[in-house]
Amino acid sequence: MEAVGVRVEGVSKRYSHKVKGEVYAARDVTLDVRPGEFVTMLGPSGCGKTTTLRIIAGFETPDAGRVVIGGRDVTHDLANQRNIGFVFQNYALFPHLSIGENVAYGLRVRNVAAAEIERRVREVLALVGLAGYEHQFSNQLSGGEQQRVALARAIVIRPQVLLFDEPLSNLDAKLRVAMRQEIRDLQRRLAITTVYVTHDQEEAMAVSDRIAVMNQGSIVQEGSADDLYYRPASAFVAQFIGRVNLLPARVEAASGGGGEVTVLGHRLAVAALPAAARAGDTVRLVLRPEAIAVRPAQDAGTLPQGTVAGRMFLGEKVEYLVRCGEMALQVVSYDARPGDLLAEGAPVGVDFKGPDIPVLPEERP
Amino acid sequence: MASVAPAAGPARGLAWARQDPALSATVLVLWLLLGLFVVFPLAMLTARVFWDGGHFSVAGIGAILTDRHQVQAFWNSLLLATLVGLLGTLVGFVFAFTVARGGLPRWVVTAIDGAVLLPLISPPFTTAIAMVFSFGPRGLITYELLGLKGVTVYGMTSTLFSEALTYFPIAYLALRPILAAIDSNIEGMAMSLGASRMRVFRTVTLPLCIPGLANSFLLLFAASLADFATPLILAGNAFPVLPTQAFLQITGMFDLRGGAVLSLVLLVPAVAVFVLQRYWVSQRFYVTVTGKGAGQQPFESVAPWVRWALVGACLAVTIVIVYLYALLLYASLVMAFGANHAFTLRHYGVIFTEGLKAIKDTLLIAGFSMPLGGLYGVLLGYLVVRKVFPGRRTMEVVSMVNYALPGTIVGIAYLIAFNDPPVELAGTALVIVACYVFRYGPTGIRTTIALLQQIDRSLEEASQSLGAASGTTFRRVTLPLILPAFFAGLGVVFIRSMTAISATIFLVSISWTLITVKILENMTELSLGPAAAFSVLVIVIVFVVIGAISWGLRFFRAPGSEPVTSLLGG
Repeated sequence: MEAVGVRVEGVSKRYSHKVKGEVYAARDVTLDVRPGEFVTMLGPSGCGKTTTLRIIAGFETPDAGRVVIGGRDVTHDLANQRNIGFVFQNYALFPHLSIGENVAYGLRVRNVAAAEIERRVREVLALVGLAGYEHQFSNQLSGGEQQRVALARAIVIRPQVLLFDEPLSNLDAKLRVAMRQEIRDLQRRLAITTVYVTHDQEEAMAVSDRIAVMNQGSIVQEGSADDLYYRPASAFVAQFIGRVNLLPARVEAASGGGGEVTVLGHRLAVAALPAAARAGDTVRLVLRPEAIAVRPAQDAGTLPQGTVAGRMFLGEKVEYLVRCGEMALQVVSYDARPGDLLAEGAPVGVDFKGPDIPVLPEERP
Repeated sequence: MASVAPAAGPARGLAWARQDPALSATVLVLWLLLGLFVVFPLAMLTARVFWDGGHFSVAGIGAILTDRHQVQAFWNSLLLATLVGLLGTLVGFVFAFTVARGGLPRWVVTAIDGAVLLPLISPPFTTAIAMVFSFGPRGLITYELLGLKGVTVYGMTSTLFSEALTYFPIAYLALRPILAAIDSNIEGMAMSLGASRMRVFRTVTLPLCIPGLANSFLLLFAASLADFATPLILAGNAFPVLPTQAFLQITGMFDLRGGAVLSLVLLVPAVAVFVLQRYWVSQRFYVTVTGKGAGQQPFESVAPWVRWALVGACLAVTIVIVYLYALLLYASLVMAFGANHAFTLRHYGVIFTEGLKAIKDTLLIAGFSMPLGGLYGVLLGYLVVRKVFPGRRTMEVVSMVNYALPGTIVGIAYLIAFNDPPVELAGTALVIVACYVFRYGPTGIRTTIALLQQIDRSLEEASQSLGAASGTTFRRVTLPLILPAFFAGLGVVFIRSMTAISATIFLVSISWTLITVKILENMTELSLGPAAAFSVLVIVIVFVVIGAISWGLRFFRAPGSEPVTSLLGG
């Protein structure tokens, strides 16, 4: 089947909350998913990602805006007219039907011939690694198996669009990692346009072609995983994707996009400053823990001075908490040799691995 | 279902009794009471049936089984119960589905709940009386409106209609939580797979409700089977049923043995229903709620025209209910319904003079039964779930017997057991109170058990780990948590004490009588005015008490906790 695009245009959904009054679950959300693309809506709970997904599925009607699937406006179509596959967090398997009948449900609705149904059910169950499970019931299956059934049931109807609502949240950590790889592989193989919802940034980065970060009902930034990680557009995105130290800095000189800043009393060249930044402005540096290096005080020279306030040895990496005056910095060091570990309380010099450090304008609350 | 109490080690023997004398004394007293008021009467009933002149005999059963009239009554009872089960379940399901899926405004749901509550808390034959007012020979519709003469309201159709109207709320209350518990994602899923709304209903919603529907059918079947007053008023001579036959056998022909045999015949389908419900239906409920999804907004799973049709159907039934009750009120306020429609308070005058004794007796008996029944329910429920003693399970089962049996059987059994020495209680208020406590107290037991099973032991353990002694733990943690069950128990015992008739009609005497019995007497003597006035009075009293108890419950419910089961119990 030809892959189709999904377009969400200016979709809003309001509801009334007992305490907060009128609240926007989704606010003017616009999202373009190209045919065959895997897009994830990522955000904290209550950010509107699930609402948007349910609007795409047709489980909810938007108050404003429209949904277009494959060039057809489906805003007012019911879910059963949209040719979608949906995978719920709680699997939503039919408890009164066997696994085989669960998977066959959509095919029966489509009046597929019995022999063909049997063949396709067998095929898809094999595809998700559950060959021979036809006659089991959902309460006899583990969480991971139930999720595979839910996946099989969604893809067997060859939907134009596959929608996932936090599909892995009910699984344990190990299984989550294995299943997300399977979902990604399957999506590639079938080339189905996919919209995926999760609050787990690592999961989002692992599976998606593109991520739309949502907050308070709106999409705040879209991009590939590395885009969002290396070029966050706001403190929210920087903090939501990975761990980060946001350090206030003063612009010393701005020229041709880049410039120099002072951070912790140390002058540093940066490749890109916010467009409006002028000398004397305050900005914030987005420093990932691995973009900071700590050196023993004797090798530190003119680097900003700090003290190791905490140390966690995690095998392939060491995490330090370094206190620099008022600031506490998270630092990750990957290439430590046994003799290099810094003790708690040790004085250190802090080095920033510039110059491609992202710089954000000071945000006014 | 996980057993919450630890299992007693077989090697411990009587150690439990020495360890906790208070517990053993309580258990002993409860067993004595259960023996006297549950086991003994049933044993006496059975003995009366099978024991003739000192030896075993099946002649009594044989006589009944060969009497064509009685055999007819048996089949009539089954037919009526089946039809009431089907019709009542259908109406109850329509109501439950409309409320659960119709997206109705809150006040409409409250209004529906209110209308549905009416038949549940009225004396069971109230609709039957109103039916006579509406469709009888001098009925508002048959005589006044249509001008028909010589119509007869009596027969199976009106009995069926009246019982279905009276008992469908049970189906509604049983089905509504089941529909509400179906994860809307499951229906959404079916829809996203391409199924139409009708198909989703047919292939997902309805199949998931089947255990609930079966359960509701059995509940209504049992209710109709046990219903004595409605057929007595409406069935007429052409349509005899077992409970009324048993009653007439005893009061009309003074044949206690014949009545006993008939009531024992009634036991067969009653026990069959109980067994089916407990061991077959209860194991077939689907659990559909897991993790996220339960809180999701249900999507529009009902097409607009279907919603209007459903609301229309509910509205029609609600209007019929309201009409019948309004008619009852009207009949209590006119000189002679069907003949002289001048306004009067005469009938109320009558019930507060001639009928005053019945009112006083009823209130006194209900007033005594209520606290005793409530206490009995909580105590037995608590012991069975949280304490370890031999015969725990048996005690739970025995305590349910009088509750599960049709009232006619219990009434006749009490009559036989307590009429003669060694335990001569006939004619006293005590026998009526005992009947109510052991027949309606079990609702409190059920509620207590259900509540305690939801309360994980870790709550009590947490309290202990924080330094509270077991007494403090009981007072500060357990008691507040089971108080709602106590109040629910109070409510049910009171309502039933005010409205019940099937068992206690055999237990009233010159010294102690009941409003419900008076109503029946008035109906048979065709003094319809006082009958209507009495009915209105009972409904008002019950409403006031329910209101007070609900108000009281509010103070004992932890904020955010689930509302306790309805006052009418399981």
